[in-house]
Amino acid sequence: MSTNKLERLLKLIAVLIDTSLPLTAEELRASVEGYPDNDASFHRAFERDKDEIREMGIPLRVERVPATDPPLDGYRIPPEEYYLADPGLAPDELAALHLAAMAVRLDPGEGATAAADREALWKLGGQDEMFVDQVDHVANVPVDPRLSQIFSAITAGQPLSFSYRGEVREIEPGRLDFQRGRWYLTGYDRGREGERNFRLDRLDGDVKFVGEPGTARRRTSAPGARVESWEMGGDVPVEILVRVDAERAAWARRRLPNADVARELDDGAIEVSIAVRNEEAIRSFVLDFLEHAEVLEPPDVRARTIAWLESVA
Amino acid sequence: MAAPRLTAADRIRRVLAIVPWIVSNPGVEVAEVARRFDLDPDDLVDDLNVVWMVGIPPYTPDALVEVTIEDGRVWIHYADFFSRPLRLTPDQGLALLASTDGLLSVPGTDPDGPLVRALDKLRTSLGGDGEQIVDVDLGSADPAILATMRDNAASKTEVEIDYFSFNRDTHTTRRITPWRVIAQEGAWYVESWCHVAEAERLFRVDRIEAARPTGTASDKLPVVDATTSSTFSPGSNAARVTIDLSPEAAWVAETYPCERISEGPDGAQRISLAVSARPWLERLLVRLGPRATVVDGEIDGVPAAEVGAEAARRILSRYSG
Repeated sequence: MSTNKLERLLKLIAVLIDTSLPLTAEELRASVEGYPDNDASFHRAFERDKDEIREMGIPLRVERVPATDPPLDGYRIPPEEYYLADPGLAPDELAALHLAAMAVRLDPGEGATAAADREALWKLGGQDEMFVDQVDHVANVPVDPRLSQIFSAITAGQPLSFSYRGEVREIEPGRLDFQRGRWYLTGYDRGREGERNFRLDRLDGDVKFVGEPGTARRRTSAPGARVESWEMGGDVPVEILVRVDAERAAWARRRLPNADVARELDDGAIEVSIAVRNEEAIRSFVLDFLEHAEVLEPPDVRARTIAWLESVA
Repeated sequence: MAAPRLTAADRIRRVLAIVPWIVSNPGVEVAEVARRFDLDPDDLVDDLNVVWMVGIPPYTPDALVEVTIEDGRVWIHYADFFSRPLRLTPDQGLALLASTDGLLSVPGTDPDGPLVRALDKLRTSLGGDGEQIVDVDLGSADPAILATMRDNAASKTEVEIDYFSFNRDTHTTRRITPWRVIAQEGAWYVESWCHVAEAERLFRVDRIEAARPTGTASDKLPVVDATTSSTFSPGSNAARVTIDLSPEAAWVAETYPCERISEGPDGAQRISLAVSARPWLERLLVRLGPRATVVDGEIDGVPAAEVGAEAARRILSRYSG
């Protein structure tokens, strides 16, 4: 690794932060030491430097240089976009973040998130020795390749579009939830004019920004409720009544912590009312109980469940 | 600890984080900076020597960064452009919020501790108007049972548990030695020695219906550093079934470890799947309904096709009443 390159990049970043007007490539070449003399080599080195700066997450802007004819592009790093808004963490709070990063790890998969926690903590001031503590690694959270882009859209209030179950959806993203091993996005669906949940692993392909930052209205209901598979996508919710036998009632209650238990029978069985947008998902849920549960109402859903089972029997 | 090879970009990230901290803590000991950022002191001095060369036009002395190291202490002057750290990237903001929110979801975490205050401040500085934009639920579990498992793992003592085995659709009582409690794929698990099976077993904490510490010290300690990557690993003697899946049932091949035998142009496929227990196969087949056809295989001496049909009839019998 070359110290020259390190030096050159640091100088380039310093000059770009310091300037209030965009600087052209030639101006930067003149004021930053360490670039090759040859024109072609300079341009190659400059292109690589720009890429590396962007990869570090530094906001490098390309702007038209004022009063140039023919017009010229120039570069600068707006300080207000570069600098961290200091969260003002007390030492014990910073230490708590260190512990959290040790205990709960985002499973990097293929992305570069392995070091994300560590670098974030550097930026926040490193590890205060007074609070050094060891904590067990208690959890892994998997990473979806689109998480980081969706997260940045949420923080920037920027609308997104993606294809979901073969349809293009335009969403004002509000919140990411990790539940039962999966990531979900909750947001306002412009096409359907209402809040919807999406399973990230069911998004087809890439996510695109479709508007300017600050144009997403970001109205999502309060978090906390578990997002169930039968609440995903779909349209008008239907109330479905399910009976679960006594011996599986405790299991059903744990599985449906927010469900509305409509009735408790004398033998210990329970009847649960569930709002369903996706009949297939609720059928799978009920069939997981085998002969210990059944769909009671409405009659058409009950009839379709019977027909489904008859196709196997 | 062997230092990994760093690229120029890695070193710059480090410098851009460390310099602002030194600027706001003038005269701090070099050794403390090194500890705080988990660096070798020599590497730190190397980094600082590079910073010393950095400046902006017109490159007069007051436009060049000045690094002073004296008596093991360090000062940095004229580094206004590096006086504050770089904002968090989306990856970093997300990683921190997810770790923090995830740890707070662990039953038994102090809801008024420094972690909650840290999370509030982070949310605000990340521009989400302070509202909750990442919600991580590592898994639901009874806090008392989770605590019992953790405590007994720490004290290396045995516990008697009432367990609902979902795969086998049975309730059992067994004695276990918990080794480690870990959240994986959205659920809490306890890695254990099971004294009934006389083997290592992974139990889902939310299926432990009661846990009674026995107070008996256990001699069954983890043989190797337990690393659980998969929550279901079929034994070599597990039954195998061959199933034809219609295109709508492609999720099966993505969800369970299986061998893909053939795939048609329309997305239909034939797979071979290990089956841990009969009720597990029953559930799979009734859920798949008309989208799956059993080609071959048997479990407990019953042809796999009959396993699904028999389960469907059992369920149907309650609908005819």
